[in-house]
Amino acid sequence: MSVVEFTTPAAMQAFVKAADLSEKIAIRNLDFFYGHNRALKNISVPLYENCVTAFIGPSGCGKSTLLRVLNRMYDLYPNQRAAGHVALEGEDILSPSQDLNLLRAKVGMVFQRPTPFPMSIYENIAFGLRLYEKLPKSELDDRVRSALERSALWNEVKDKLHANGQSLSGGQQQRLCIARTVAVKPEVILFDEPCSALDPISTAKIEELISELKEDYTIAIVTHNMQQAARVSDFTAFMYLGELVEFGETSTIFTNPSDERTQDYITGRFG
Amino acid sequence: MALFDARRRRNAIAMALSLAATGFGLAWLVVVLGVLLWKGVGGLSLAVFTQMTPPPGSDGGLLNPIVGSLVMTTIAVALGTPLGILAGTYMAEYGRYDPLTTIVRFINDILLSAPSIVVGLFVYEVMVARMGHFSGWAGAVALAVIVVPVVVRTTEDMLTLVPDTLREAAASIGLPRSLMIRRVAYKAARAGMVTGVLLAVARISGETAPLLFTSLNNQFWSANLNAPLASLPVVIFQFALSPYEDWQKLAWTGALITTLAVLALSIAARVLTGQRKPS
Amino acid sequence: MMSDPHTVKAFDNDLQDLARMVAEMGGLAEKQVADAVDALARRDTALAQRVTGADGSIDNLQREIEEKAVLTIARRQPMASDLRQVVGTMRLASDIERIGDLAKNIAKRVMALNGEFPPPKLIRGVEHMSDMLLGQLKQVLNAFARRDVAEAMAVWRADEEIDAVCTSVFRELLTYMMEDPRNISFCIHLLFCAKNIERMGDHATNIAETVHYIIQGRPLTDQRPKGDTTGFASMRAAGEG
Repeated sequence: MSVVEFTTPAAMQAFVKAADLSEKIAIRNLDFFYGHNRALKNISVPLYENCVTAFIGPSGCGKSTLLRVLNRMYDLYPNQRAAGHVALEGEDILSPSQDLNLLRAKVGMVFQRPTPFPMSIYENIAFGLRLYEKLPKSELDDRVRSALERSALWNEVKDKLHANGQSLSGGQQQRLCIARTVAVKPEVILFDEPCSALDPISTAKIEELISELKEDYTIAIVTHNMQQAARVSDFTAFMYLGELVEFGETSTIFTNPSDERTQDYITGRFG
Repeated sequence: MALFDARRRRNAIAMALSLAATGFGLAWLVVVLGVLLWKGVGGLSLAVFTQMTPPPGSDGGLLNPIVGSLVMTTIAVALGTPLGILAGTYMAEYGRYDPLTTIVRFINDILLSAPSIVVGLFVYEVMVARMGHFSGWAGAVALAVIVVPVVVRTTEDMLTLVPDTLREAAASIGLPRSLMIRRVAYKAARAGMVTGVLLAVARISGETAPLLFTSLNNQFWSANLNAPLASLPVVIFQFALSPYEDWQKLAWTGALITTLAVLALSIAARVLTGQRKPS
Repeated sequence: MMSDPHTVKAFDNDLQDLARMVAEMGGLAEKQVADAVDALARRDTALAQRVTGADGSIDNLQREIEEKAVLTIARRQPMASDLRQVVGTMRLASDIERIGDLAKNIAKRVMALNGEFPPPKLIRGVEHMSDMLLGQLKQVLNAFARRDVAEAMAVWRADEEIDAVCTSVFRELLTYMMEDPRNISFCIHLLFCAKNIERMGDHATNIAETVHYIIQGRPLTDQRPKGDTTGFASMRAAGEG
């Protein structure tokens, strides 16, 4: 692996301490451009396997942009490009020869607003499954059920699997989206502010879900809510104006951050 | 308070004017429908749908023009809809950021409001003159040329209304683009797209001018598309201008049938768009 | 206190209130200690009585500080430096309250002496200790208010000296007690007073450690140099000394 430059000694410490963790996604010297505007500046940060990494920072700092590089979502739009190295288990995902659909099957994403497909609940999940595997009906049923159980939604919808996905409440819809993502067995799940449109109880359920999911998946979460980042993540990255200001273990960042900007942000002295 | 009173007065005047204008427009609609019903309903009978157009003086029906219209409309829709949907899909999905799309959209809008008689002349030149005779095919093609821009427009509009987040959600589970369009975007825009097709059908059911140059008319029963074919609008045109009373009566009946058909289609379109209710 | 104020002003107000209450409590405790030792030196039982009564206000302040700190945590969800500040303030209040209790204990012993006062030269040792302790207390509370780690560390290291004086007072009193059994009573009281002051010194070092934690974000893990051998000095050694 090439030399990593972390911005602070604490980050280096965290990195060294976490050496028994493997780096699922290695981001090195990543730049991102919207047209001529450089939105991400030389970002280098690790995503450790089976850990939750949170990205926090004020609006416009580039955290959602960074997340969307990881599954090359920006490819859907013109005038957006990334430069640098992003390796998923050694494979460079920024290279033009990367199969985007395969990449996105490995790196799933849950968005800010719940977006169930205009189909039944069952179909929402079976749809993705059918893409990749030819399964007999009984096995398909099992997979749908286990995806819904994984997302703590099974008990609430088991009697109405053929109801339209859009007839569920906001929190349920979001869990349906998580079930849909989990069903195709990705390796990494990206959460882009998953709870900002939800009430506190749904939020708590999803936070609980995330801590269960991390046993099997590597998770990255972007959030505006610092307390949520503190509750849910193992590692936290603070970004500001497109740069990575500080990265380290969550317990350190929230009790004793090294950079003053980090401290100012998390104590509410920003701006 | 004086300011408030002045505002209230202005509001009342504006309301009165709006209601008057609405009343005026509605009144004419009621008058037209009323006259149609009055004049046409008397002639409505089973015979109208089973017998062919009669020579003046004898009894008959409107079988051949009804069948002719149905056939040409169906073919026009069959020709125009796939073309329109595919073009609209390209503009909304694949070519969204393509400069070509802007040009196509512009031309499409022009075609949308092109006078239908121009369309008829065009098809006359291209098909009828070449073939040497009028035909049902030419009529169908002329109608198709009118269908296409409508479907292109509504397809593109409805597909553009589908939120990008839905597309991103589909992409995020690794769905290839064509599948995403077929199974997600189309599904989401389905009601709107069907409405577009229905509106196109409603539009062409009443078009007379293009048919005048292409399918002409046929007094007799004919299922031969390669020859002049009867159609309801043209028959109404012919019969209404004639001096014969029974022909005029049939013309009114034909007009009533056409109007009711278009009404039914519009209501169907409305019901379809109203049916999509997210919770 | 910190570079920038919080966006939510009420948060700053909460932190300032806590700091003010700590300063008040510290001042009260300093006065209690000074008065208690004064009462001992001047054989003033009335003063000793007042000291005993005044301890209640220190206890009240500690309760108030704790309540305020808990409320601040619930409302403001403090992070990083703010969190350490609030938690540290609670620890400080607890240490100062103990210092107040120890001063009250000295005052009680003054009343218990009941006219039987030890000779002035013995009390001088205790007075010396109390002067040093008061200096430590003042310095460490200053360090807390001004966020000065160096000053806190100086206090932390200087506790050794108080311990040394305590050991020598211990030896002296042992000799006295061995000379004449009638001295034993007041010597023991004096011994406890000395021990109390030595414990106050320990609390002062606790406060210094808390200040270090608040500012540096890491607890102090070094071993403090200890000069107090009273725990294992024996009669025979004292007899020889």
